[in-house]
Amino acid sequence: MTKDSQHRDLFPGALEIMILQTLRTKPMHGYAIAQHIKNLSDDLLQIEEGSLYPALQRMLKAGWLESAMGISARDRPVRIFKLTALGRKHLEQERSSVERMFAGINRVLAISKT
Amino acid sequence: MDWLNRIFRRDRLYAEVSQSIQEHLEEKIEVLMEKGMSREEASRAARLEFGNVTRIEERSREVWQWPKLESVWADLRLALQQFMASPAFTLTALATLALGIGATTAIFSVVNTVLLKPLAYPDPDRLALFFETDGQREFSAVSIPEFHFWQEQSNLFQDLSASDTDSVGLNLAGDHPEVVHGLHVTENYFHLFGAQTVLGRTFTTVEENLNGGRTAVLSYDLWKNHFASDPSILGKSISLGGDPYTVIGVAGQQFQTELGADLWLPLQADPNSTDVTPFFRVVGRLKPGVTLIQANAQLKLAAVNFRRRYPAVNRRMYFVVRPLQDAIVGNSRSSLLLLLGGVGFVLLIACANLASLQLIRASGRKREFAIRASLGASQGRIVRQLLTESVLLSLIGGLLGLGLGELAVRLLLTVSSGDIPRLGVNGSAVGLDWRVLAFTLTLSVLTGLAFGLAPARGASNFDLSTALKESGRAAGTGFHQQRARALLVVGEAALAVVLTVCAALFIRTFIALQSVNPGFSSHNVLTMQMALTGPRFHQTAPVAQLVREARQRINALPGVMNSATTASLPLQAVHRIPVDVLGRPAGSAPNTGSTQWLAVSPGYLSVFEIPLLRGRDFNQNDSGTSPPVVIINQTMGKMFWPRQNPLGQQILLGKGMPPMFADRPREVVGIVGDVLTDGLDATVQPMAIVPQAQVPDGITDISDRMEPIHWVLRTSVEPQQLNASVKEQLLEASGGIPTSETRTMRDIVSRSIALQNFDMQLLSIFSVSALLLAAVGIYGLMAYSVQQRAQEIGVRMALGADREKIRNMVIWQGMRLALAGAVIGVGAALTITHLIATFLFGVKSWDPAVFLTVPMLLSCVALIAVWVPAHRGSRMDPMQTLRAE
Repeated sequence: MTKDSQHRDLFPGALEIMILQTLRTKPMHGYAIAQHIKNLSDDLLQIEEGSLYPALQRMLKAGWLESAMGISARDRPVRIFKLTALGRKHLEQERSSVERMFAGINRVLAISKT
Repeated sequence: MDWLNRIFRRDRLYAEVSQSIQEHLEEKIEVLMEKGMSREEASRAARLEFGNVTRIEERSREVWQWPKLESVWADLRLALQQFMASPAFTLTALATLALGIGATTAIFSVVNTVLLKPLAYPDPDRLALFFETDGQREFSAVSIPEFHFWQEQSNLFQDLSASDTDSVGLNLAGDHPEVVHGLHVTENYFHLFGAQTVLGRTFTTVEENLNGGRTAVLSYDLWKNHFASDPSILGKSISLGGDPYTVIGVAGQQFQTELGADLWLPLQADPNSTDVTPFFRVVGRLKPGVTLIQANAQLKLAAVNFRRRYPAVNRRMYFVVRPLQDAIVGNSRSSLLLLLGGVGFVLLIACANLASLQLIRASGRKREFAIRASLGASQGRIVRQLLTESVLLSLIGGLLGLGLGELAVRLLLTVSSGDIPRLGVNGSAVGLDWRVLAFTLTLSVLTGLAFGLAPARGASNFDLSTALKESGRAAGTGFHQQRARALLVVGEAALAVVLTVCAALFIRTFIALQSVNPGFSSHNVLTMQMALTGPRFHQTAPVAQLVREARQRINALPGVMNSATTASLPLQAVHRIPVDVLGRPAGSAPNTGSTQWLAVSPGYLSVFEIPLLRGRDFNQNDSGTSPPVVIINQTMGKMFWPRQNPLGQQILLGKGMPPMFADRPREVVGIVGDVLTDGLDATVQPMAIVPQAQVPDGITDISDRMEPIHWVLRTSVEPQQLNASVKEQLLEASGGIPTSETRTMRDIVSRSIALQNFDMQLLSIFSVSALLLAAVGIYGLMAYSVQQRAQEIGVRMALGADREKIRNMVIWQGMRLALAGAVIGVGAALTITHLIATFLFGVKSWDPAVFLTVPMLLSCVALIAVWVPAHRGSRMDPMQTLRAE
């Protein structure tokens, strides 16, 4: 439990955005998503791999994702997650709002430095 | 069947989640093993990076669950286990809840029946009762021309029906003559109130016509009881007051209006009537879309036209309509709401006690919560668990309360119903319906939240590690928790004071009412009614003859000291009539006005022991042929002859009334003490008393049609003993006219204050309960605190504090709370008792005696409650308590 609280999401919904962004190029299964986020973030964001799954369920329920059976890179039958049109739209909205937020934070940080 | 599909789909989804997680782990292990780890190492590393599998599966599943339904179920099971584990707490809490919610439910079910349940007629909310008003008082007794005038306002009302203001006693002849209650109604009365018939039909315009003949519609009960449900009753003739009437119909079993009638007769109003004497009651149904405000606005404007047509009526008079239900409920509305408020206070205090109990329990369970928190339960989850427990508890308590409340309300209404309308015989109309059920359910949930919220908040706000480190016993002495309980006790005491102040004011009111001198003696007085309907009694002389003969017979009975007849009894409504002092120049002194009017036979003053202050009483010589005389009361004497002896003066009664009521000038022959009419809390009005034998024929005619006369007897024995023999004598003397409504005057007096009595009794019960609950609250707090501080007390004793000092310390700590509550309660009571000022009589809403006694009473009760734990504390053996630690 302690690990969970130390590496909590930066802000609510961040994990979801990363998953959506990851799935934008191609459908993936759970393990691949986790590895992808880990590699890209250069282990800066150490998310607990398991926390992916409740997030995936939430997104399935919201209709942003679909799931189907597929084959992994290791030729295993696995459950593949795929972005829906709704999910794509949501990602666009979230990205712009996240970017605005970071722009704002950066500006504040820049000012306080001087 | 969507939810069924969802359940199956959910099972599939759960399986998918578990499967995905397994796949994930296996792939991870495979990768790690490829990097050279053993299977065991890889498996451990994978799980470490993945997190708690069970927990993650659970959280993933929760996404698909209904709003926490499954976890609510788990909470419920846990709550039940908790109850089983501490039966003493559970039983105490349930008993408190059942009593609190039960009492509230009982009062609410009366409120529901009287105020909330719609009238049992079609479109009840559009039924309106008509009033004539001068802007200050409203009179529901109206006249035929007014009725016809309102019928002309056809854009407002779609159905308008007139009836007598009250049912008249009619003598139904037969083998067993009995008084039945008949109501004269217009033909659409039955349609307006949605009456069905089991036999025949109701009136039509044919019967409504002035020459429509004598017909009657029987009530179901009369048909069943008096006529043995005779299926061939239609067309048969029955004798009412000596006149034959043809039965044309029998009303449905359910049909009754609030006026109550055994049978209905056609009103047969003269369409050209100009008689503005108010003897009728008019109910109408508003047209759809017409509001009460619109109707009243138009009626007020239209009154101008009416006054133009009838110049004799009061120039300020206009018309209003009120919802029929409000008119029926009358002033019992405020009484009932007051009682509901009072019982609400009791429930609040009960809640405070339970919250206090919960706080103690919560402190005992601190370790349990800490362990659950360390196992991953969030604060919200623990709060929810606690709230689930208290709401479940109060729901069970509410269910018990519902049963208890039903029982209580039955018992209450059998003992006394306070003369509240719409309750039925002994409260038979009061029962469970969806409103009561919904109320009790809501109340239970709110109660549960109310007493569960504070402890739940307290329990969720704690430091995990300290809670775990603290030993189970010492937990709960925390300052915050103790302060919360102290505040609850202060609040309880304050509420109890407010409620007790109200109850005390009502008790004082009731005592004041009972000690009012009504101006007559009600001891050993028997009263009964006799209906003088029929052609025989259209004139004064035959009535006077009947009264004279019957009095002779009754007075001869052993045990009867004197007897008389009167048009109305003391404390009951009396007619008003214009009065003019003759031979006095206008303007010099009051020479005109109005007075109450009463017609009595000789013997009236002596039966009621009304003091004759000057002049003489009536006697047999005051007959229709002798000079007209009048006796006035003291108030009338002072009002019209402030500096003069009224005896020998001449007055004229009823000037300006229709010619058939015309009276002759009367000489004042006597002045008597004032007698209260309209109730014990009313003010004395001027009254003119005339000999029944000298009443104008027109007045005798109309009053005999409308109202019974009252026989009154002073007895030297218990009045009810003479009941049968008096009835028999009256039956013989009158040639077969039965009597009804036999009551002692004492009974009538106590009935006149039945509502105040009802209020006082219930408020007293509530206030005693409130005081007891507050005492229990203080006792509980102090007992617990003494137990918690056993060690401290032990140390103090070991250091030389004597027992008395310890006891006083505990007493002072408890009493400080009680006194704080008393002060707050007195302040609150001072600001709210003016709201109940209209209920009070003979006592001010800030009565100093009440405001001094009640806090003292509370202090005494609190002192007893504090004494016990204080005494126990001072008896502690310091060695034992110190060793126990």
